Amino acid sequence: MKVANKAQLDALCGEYLVGTLRGAARRRFERSLREEPQVAQRLKYWEGVVAPRYTKMIETQPSASVWNRLERELGLARYRPPWHRRAGFWRGWAAAATAALVLAIGVQLYRQEPQVVQIARLAGQDMASAVTAHLSNDGRTLVLHSARPVLAGPAQSYELWLLPPDGSVRSLAVLGSLDARFTVPQAHQRRLREGGKLAVSVEPAGGSPTGKPTGPVILAGPIKM
Amino acid sequence: MLDDQAVKGLLLRTAARDEGSAEAFRRLYQICAPILLGVAQRIVGRRELAEEVLHDGFAKIGRAADTFDPLRAQPVAWMAAIVRNRAIDVRSSHDVSRMDSYHATVDDDPDGTLDRLFDWSPGADDEEDRRRASRWLRDCLSRLTAVERQSLVLAYEHGLSHGELASHLQKPLGTVKSWVRRGMKSLRACVEACMSGEAR
Repeated sequence: MKVANKAQLDALCGEYLVGTLRGAARRRFERSLREEPQVAQRLKYWEGVVAPRYTKMIETQPSASVWNRLERELGLARYRPPWHRRAGFWRGWAAAATAALVLAIGVQLYRQEPQVVQIARLAGQDMASAVTAHLSNDGRTLVLHSARPVLAGPAQSYELWLLPPDGSVRSLAVLGSLDARFTVPQAHQRRLREGGKLAVSVEPAGGSPTGKPTGPVILAGPIKM
Repeated sequence: MLDDQAVKGLLLRTAARDEGSAEAFRRLYQICAPILLGVAQRIVGRRELAEEVLHDGFAKIGRAADTFDPLRAQPVAWMAAIVRNRAIDVRSSHDVSRMDSYHATVDDDPDGTLDRLFDWSPGADDEEDRRRASRWLRDCLSRLTAVERQSLVLAYEHGLSHGELASHLQKPLGTVKSWVRRGMKSLRACVEACMSGEAR
């Protein structure tokens, strides 16, 4: 019998949180947490209500051996991911894109903007929040224009994804605002073609930690050239 | 009081798996390990077991950091839940008679315990929803009968099972089970009523 169907789902969540749910019953409940989204959702609700903020009075200093063992076992000193997985890189890039935008605006006072054509209109559920995507003639610069200013919160970034027809998902940029201009990564320039899609998701600050969208997709639209 | 925003930032940085992650994880440990060790020690009793739990808990925190949802979860509570779970597992799998007796360490002033354990004052970075939930929880706990409250608090703080509660409180198992069940039920009813605005 599925746990989610049980009338006592709330009671199970409560006993699980308080800790009196033990042994086989606890294992069973944990399995249903993984298998039944309703159960996980209900527990999340109760975790929100019974969320302790522990006071300093219960603090006790662990011995150094605990950390030494963790450090050794997790190989923390060695871990270094490839450049494209590093959030620092994307953050740096986002900062560079912002700087480039500021620079571009400055430069535009003196120079004509390079020709861009609209290639996609990204829409969400709220039609007012539509964003248009424009590509430069040389296919190297992508410009996003938002119908109204949209800025990410301090703990969030927007991430723009390219979904080529082959079913893959590629990150194009991590953005703090949906009004942006940036250089398309060279590897993705040829993928930016009719038949593909563009989408924007909300991610933790610095972009998706996994390289795939993890947050809600707020805008999406097909590429039309 | 831990700074939730700072802890949140360190968790996200850990989850990013980039060149700053190892340092973020180290800072996260420095800041949070003492409180989490306190949580573990209350449940497993023995110091060396508590450190074992802290180690396992932090290894899991490191692995699972990317499943932390910054928009929905409170970071310290999220980590404490991982440590508590591990502690409850360890406690159930060890022979209780070999452990330090909790009779010596458990005090029977559940209200004092609650205030020592939980910080009820609203944090600067708390959202209104959370402040409200915390207020409800405290109000609702205070409406329980003394035995119900004591059972819930003992079970929560020390990870006592129904059987252990029964022997500590020197009451029949069935009685203790029904206290816990009734306590949970009233707490739930009270919190739900607060949420739908009927209680006030």
